[in-house]
Amino acid sequence: MGNKRAHFGIARATCALGLVATLLTGCGSDGDSGDGVTKLTFAASTFGDPGRGPLLTKWLDEFNQSQTKVQVSAAAVPYPTFGQTVLTQMGSGKGPDLIRFDMPEFEAASDAGLVAPLDKVIDASKYDLLKQPDQFMVHDGVRHGVIFEASNYAMFYNADLIPTPPTTYEQFTSTAKSLTKGDVFGLAFRQTEAEEAGVWQDIFNYVYGFGGAWSDGKNLTINSPENLKGLQAFKDLYDANVIPRGADAATFRRMFAEGKVGMELNNGGYVTATRGQNAKLNFNVAPIPFPVRKQGAILAPIVINEASEGKEEAGTFIKWALEPQNQVKLQEILGASSVATATQRSAEALKATAFLPVFDGLTETSLPQIVLGFEAKTPDIRKVVVQNVVAALQGKADLKSALDRAQQQATELVR
Amino acid sequence: MTVVEQTGAPKTTPPGRPRRRPSPLGSKWTPYLFLAPAALFILVFQAVPLVQEVYLSFTRTRLLNPTRSEWVGLENFNRIFGDPEFHRTLLITVVYVITCVVVAIGAGLVVALLLNRKFRGRGVARALVTVPWAAPGIAVALIATWMLNAQYGIVNRFLDAVGLGVPGGAILDSPRYALPAVLATTIWQLFPFTSVVLLSALQSVPQDLNEAATVDGAGRWATFRAVTWQVIKPTVGLLALLMTIWSLRRFELIWLMTKGGPVGATETLVIDLYSQAFDSKELGSAAAIGMVGVVISLIVIIGSRLVARAVEKGDVR
Repeated sequence: MGNKRAHFGIARATCALGLVATLLTGCGSDGDSGDGVTKLTFAASTFGDPGRGPLLTKWLDEFNQSQTKVQVSAAAVPYPTFGQTVLTQMGSGKGPDLIRFDMPEFEAASDAGLVAPLDKVIDASKYDLLKQPDQFMVHDGVRHGVIFEASNYAMFYNADLIPTPPTTYEQFTSTAKSLTKGDVFGLAFRQTEAEEAGVWQDIFNYVYGFGGAWSDGKNLTINSPENLKGLQAFKDLYDANVIPRGADAATFRRMFAEGKVGMELNNGGYVTATRGQNAKLNFNVAPIPFPVRKQGAILAPIVINEASEGKEEAGTFIKWALEPQNQVKLQEILGASSVATATQRSAEALKATAFLPVFDGLTETSLPQIVLGFEAKTPDIRKVVVQNVVAALQGKADLKSALDRAQQQATELVR
Repeated sequence: MTVVEQTGAPKTTPPGRPRRRPSPLGSKWTPYLFLAPAALFILVFQAVPLVQEVYLSFTRTRLLNPTRSEWVGLENFNRIFGDPEFHRTLLITVVYVITCVVVAIGAGLVVALLLNRKFRGRGVARALVTVPWAAPGIAVALIATWMLNAQYGIVNRFLDAVGLGVPGGAILDSPRYALPAVLATTIWQLFPFTSVVLLSALQSVPQDLNEAATVDGAGRWATFRAVTWQVIKPTVGLLALLMTIWSLRRFELIWLMTKGGPVGATETLVIDLYSQAFDSKELGSAAAIGMVGVVISLIVIIGSRLVARAVEKGDVR
């Protein structure tokens, strides 16, 4: 009798522990739902974009309608926390099945072995992939991603305020100064530590546009004379009060859409967002007028999570996305961005947006915003560089000392 | 309570009534039974992570590969204590905590004393004063950021109008003004709580003692010191302890307003911890910083207990 009672007690305790364990583990990937359909999640910060998110979701619906065995659902994670959220999930062996990464996070995930090799899933030779951006998708001969979006940086300008765009750096600064009056600013860029990733994207154009680079492939060159020159140009514009200081990107982009900012360096994805804010805004685009024609590009690869239980099915989605007609649709959604393959722009698209060829013409001179040779360490180097550049902007250090300090700190990080 | 001693004949079951099993609620295990859910919760969600954190702090563990951790002994502690940036973080934390505790309790006491007086609309005032405390931290941070916005924030407009404007208006981007701005926001959120708690303590001050002190010729300040303060002192002590612990671990408000910047001007321990864990992806260093926070909290708790005992014994006034 006593034994029976003890067994009953053990059984109850086991049930209780089982219940607690179930609650603690939570829900994992949907996987096979039991009806033979594999349900996958595709995480991308762009799903949350007011202009492009709904269109991308429709594009996903088209895939889902074309399939009987695979269904992909969108997971919108906000851009500022996207990398942290998804990388943390992946580090613990979970996370979405498909991910649209930005380059620094892609490199970190790839280096940590969290991204599935794609060579067995897709045959890249079957597609007309854009060579310049696509080369960054392959590490040590292994393909880890396919370009989902490639977006070159150009100069957006308000055509009502600036009838003729500047073509030299001197014209660029004088235009910015002459336009700044009252609540109108000649230029806008990110300059606060709170927008670290954005500041990195902005200063990238100044560094490369003045002939600099973050590394020579083997050693960091953060404090090189060329970098100092480029970042001095950035600081001079900050000091000249031609930008709305303290305004975050959301604020100054709204100001641009309201005609209160003259110029902004931004990527092709911004075209749709600007039109979404003010469809009547008369703006145009030109190459960045810096001494060297070299600028950043937002490369956003799509990857498959190594921990996904539906890698093959995820591959089905990537193959579908790479089909020519789906690439065309994707490019139309992404606006002035390019996609993985060489795609012709339609006459209607060119008529609606005459400056699209400006973006396309920059592809060969655009570089992803990573530190070449130290790709996986880019987020760490970025933090160090941005902190020191912001310190120089705030007058806490002169720019040369700030860059020397950044060089020293970053070198210790990558040693 | 009356205790009845049972003597004489042994206890027997009354005839005609079946013998009942003793109720489980009467057993010696009953208290443990009631405590078990809370204990299990604390064990699973507090003790286990704490033990894990202690272990992590002695390892080199990357966020992206947490399973490949390596035992490094005191290396993480040596590194963080050898870093002058960490010393600055500790200093900022101390400044943040002390300012929050002193000003929130001071402002709370002033407001509580005012709300304890009789005036028309007192009920409405008491209700309104709790609004900042009722608002979620995220909402408070967003409202403050909006008010301090360099381009359209009302604070800049006001400061400009009175000739105290920050150049460019970027208060949260200025290493000089960011910490005071974050502190002001934190205190704005905290002081309603202290004032409500202190108001309830004030209402327990015996009115006849106040009247007696007045009759004896004591002024307002002397009456406050001799009567009111003596009654509310334990409450202030408890509030100070709570405020210290809460301020040490406050994250969302600072993170949303400045992310610890500019140039580390608002970087407290928890911000540094988050930064190490999720920006640098170094879980080991982050755990070491967390341990420093735990030790500080323990020192504060033990210190406050010692002070409380000394006060009870009359060693400290």
